[in-house]
Amino acid sequence: MKIVHLADSHLGFSSYSRLDQHGQNRIEEMIYSGFDQAIEKIIQLRPDAVVHAGDVFHHVRPKIKPLVIFQRGLFRLAEMGIPVIIISGNHDAPKSYSITGPFRLFEGLRGVHIAQRYKYERFEVGDYNFHCIPFCLEPRDYLTEFERIERSSRDVLVMHGLVESLRSRKMRSVGEHELKDSLLKSDFDYIALGHFHGQTPICANAWYSGSVEYFNFGEAADRKGMLLVDLEKGTVESVQVRPKYMIDCPAVDCSGLSSEEISECLMELCHDYEIRDKMIRINLTNVNRAAYRSIDQGKINRLGAAALYFKIKLQFNDEAERSERPVDRHKLHEEFSNFLRGEASQKRIPKAILDEVVAYGSELMKKAVQSRNIEAFDASQ
Amino acid sequence: MCEGILVQEADLSAFRAKLGSEVEQALPDKKVIRKEDTTYRIISKSVTEYQFIVPFDLPDEERVEVGQIFSIKDHDEARGRRLTFLARVLDIQHGSNYEGNWDTTMKGTQFFDKEQIFNRVFAEPLGCVNCDGSFRRSRTIPTKFSKVSRAERSEFKFLKQVMGDIEIGYLRNGSRLVEEIPVALHSDTIDHHMGVFATTGMGKSNFMKVFAASCMRLAARGESKFGLLIVDPHGEYLKGKGSIKGLMHLKRYRDGLACYSTDQKNSKDPYVEELAISKGEVRPEDVALLYEWSPPQREALDAISRIFEAGNWLEEIQSPDGLERMMQEKFKDSTVNVLVRRIKNILEKNKYIQGRSSLANMLANLQSGKVVLVDIPRMSDRSELFLLSVISRYIMEEYKKDEREGRKNCLITIEEAQRVLGAGSNTSRFETIAREGRKFGVGLCAITQQPKLIDKQLLSQFNTLVIMGLGDRNDRIQLEESAKQDLSTLDIEIQTLEKGEAIVSTLNIPFPVPARIHRFEDYLRRLEKDDANEALISRGGFRPFLE
Ligand SMILES: Nc1ncnc2c1ncn2[C@@H]1O[C@H](COP(=O)(O)OP(=O)(O)OP(=O)(O)O)[C@@H](O)[C@H]1O
Ligand SMILES: [Mg+2]
Repeated sequence: MKIVHLADSHLGFSSYSRLDQHGQNRIEEMIYSGFDQAIEKIIQLRPDAVVHAGDVFHHVRPKIKPLVIFQRGLFRLAEMGIPVIIISGNHDAPKSYSITGPFRLFEGLRGVHIAQRYKYERFEVGDYNFHCIPFCLEPRDYLTEFERIERSSRDVLVMHGLVESLRSRKMRSVGEHELKDSLLKSDFDYIALGHFHGQTPICANAWYSGSVEYFNFGEAADRKGMLLVDLEKGTVESVQVRPKYMIDCPAVDCSGLSSEEISECLMELCHDYEIRDKMIRINLTNVNRAAYRSIDQGKINRLGAAALYFKIKLQFNDEAERSERPVDRHKLHEEFSNFLRGEASQKRIPKAILDEVVAYGSELMKKAVQSRNIEAFDASQ
Repeated sequence: MCEGILVQEADLSAFRAKLGSEVEQALPDKKVIRKEDTTYRIISKSVTEYQFIVPFDLPDEERVEVGQIFSIKDHDEARGRRLTFLARVLDIQHGSNYEGNWDTTMKGTQFFDKEQIFNRVFAEPLGCVNCDGSFRRSRTIPTKFSKVSRAERSEFKFLKQVMGDIEIGYLRNGSRLVEEIPVALHSDTIDHHMGVFATTGMGKSNFMKVFAASCMRLAARGESKFGLLIVDPHGEYLKGKGSIKGLMHLKRYRDGLACYSTDQKNSKDPYVEELAISKGEVRPEDVALLYEWSPPQREALDAISRIFEAGNWLEEIQSPDGLERMMQEKFKDSTVNVLVRRIKNILEKNKYIQGRSSLANMLANLQSGKVVLVDIPRMSDRSELFLLSVISRYIMEEYKKDEREGRKNCLITIEEAQRVLGAGSNTSRFETIAREGRKFGVGLCAITQQPKLIDKQLLSQFNTLVIMGLGDRNDRIQLEESAKQDLSTLDIEIQTLEKGEAIVSTLNIPFPVPARIHRFEDYLRRLEKDDANEALISRGGFRPFLE
């Protein structure tokens, strides 16, 4: 049995508000067209099933357009008789039971299997069992839901979250959950992971397919696309959907350059990288502030007009030192308990009640912050 | 003997009463000395040894035992004396007020006089507690005839102040428990190395589980100061065996535990990760541990890191190209073939060597202060050493790099430590950790049945010793000679320790403390139950005030 594994479509994502001639956000449109292309690619590949490992939509309450785009894709696959298995991710799953998520619209369609109820679900497709653990409300739940899995001898696991061993790559998005490496059991025929946007093997049988699109410059070096997995043979093949279109240019040292030289340098870069319809970031370091100011800004704007997104990141020669100092940022509840412990050491708070107050107060704060985040996140934009 | 005179019982008692009053009248200013006035009072002797006598025929309940702690109340408000001295019984001897061989008299009318015989107790001063409850070593002696009594809970209260945060048992007075006084090690001293010593079956494994459980508790509460690595070749720590419980059973604090296993059965559990080491993490030095090598083989092994790339040698040397390169370096093909065969054998036997690696994760867990359990049941002695070597080298190298903010120290446990820390053992890695690990925040916890085989100089760097029953005199001597606290006086006690009983010697506690290590299963139950109130707090409930 062959499956196509994809994830993190983030339909509805729009950013860097550049509009096309119809007034549509160009990046948002780019993502829709990428999704369409992915669907066509899948149809060409004729797999026995498609697995989408979470974050189909960028929002818990998507606008109509992304819903339509998704519905169209789903119908195309159904038409071709390709079954689809989907789990909800941290972006498209509501953070409480009381809110209805977007996937409810697509339930009950023939050949469409969606796990979106914060709990483990098993779908039998072909001669394999697809064990799906969608977005859960608590990090612990992944372990308890996992415990409910009963293995057959042909098993595929689908999950969404950041595996421990990629801890350093934290995306810090709301609701991001860590998946314990201990869940990556070698006796699954395949483990389809979603959430991390670069295509990466985690171990012999576990992969992030990565996303098809780019969402920020941190992903410039990522491999993008989908995976074609042969479950019997255990082979995994990368499937590219569209050519690379994000470029984060290596930094150019501008020390000593005049304004003419800087603008010449910019033109050269734009030429070399063929920026049309690309997302490009040019990094200039040690720029003389005055020299840069005297470059004609209109000219720079025209230079980048052809790009899908164009940004010049500047680091002036007079701000070199302060840039790298790490900020000591604490979470609110940590701040609170540090403060109280400080007060207690000055004997302004009696020792006997300190732990009590810290524990209770921190808990309240964590809850408040969490519910604040959830509100902000669930709100439709 | 007055023959022929019959005395009625009643007459006799009347006679006695009369005699008594006559005697008392005859001695108007004298008082009869009673047993209570002379026993249990300090009678000698110096700042380093106290002596007192006790009745020679005490009931079992009150018998004095070696190791018991007595308190000497040197109190006299009027004269401004309020010290309480504490002393530990070292020895007990028969004594009497007679001279000569009275007790071996063969014939006579009177064998002995019960009033004049007793037991003499020799005790070692531990220190004194003053009226505000603080403890210090004593530079003086208690006033003569100060009252001596078995130390009570209240007199041990000061111990609470010097105890640490890793509870391991209760204070023991002789063979009795003093429940309210937990014995707890200090997290802060842990990077200074620690040793656990006991003859087989005396409770080493039980101790380690209790220790680990306390560490898990700290870690789960975010209070841990070090990560604890346990590599368990017996497969007894994870889930235990039969009625013996394992660390996984401490559900409440499972967040403080990270498990890795080579056992399919155990690693089915979602909380247990399948152990994996990548080929790139294995070095020739590790392989060297696994076999005996002839000098040319050894040489070839040592040359590998010169000839191949560190990350890839394991693959490369197995290829025809690799053989060629070795032969270019003038190694015989037969030598290289032995190497390759053995490497194939290792890879075949140790299936956990693959593409993925658990090490980075293990390290992250250690650095965040968790207990990391590596469960490798049924693994051979050498394979275990091999794995321990790979893991500890990785840890050491990572700890040597720049210290990340908030990084916790690490304690590496070595079972049967005499294998690697013995005089003349060829596993210098662990000795390196023992000697320089501290600088980087890496400590060793050596567990062994035979401290006599451990290098003496190394042993002298151990700041925390948990000594359980040790029958072999040489083992005890070795410990006594290298310990930081004076243990020589405890020889008899160490010899007579029973299962689960221990002497704990550690820097922050002023004298070696007698302890009864918790039975793990009991401790588990207590942890799950006791801290229920804390769970209430973390759920947002509120328990207004402590006492
Ligand atoms: N503190 C204790 N209280 C009660 N029972 C104990 C205690 N310590 C150990 N035991 C019991 O003694 C038995 C042996 O203990 P344990 O396995 O810990 O010994 P060990 O020193 O590790 O032995 P070995 O040398 O075989 O590894 C176990 O059944 C255990 O339950
Ligand atoms: Mg044992």
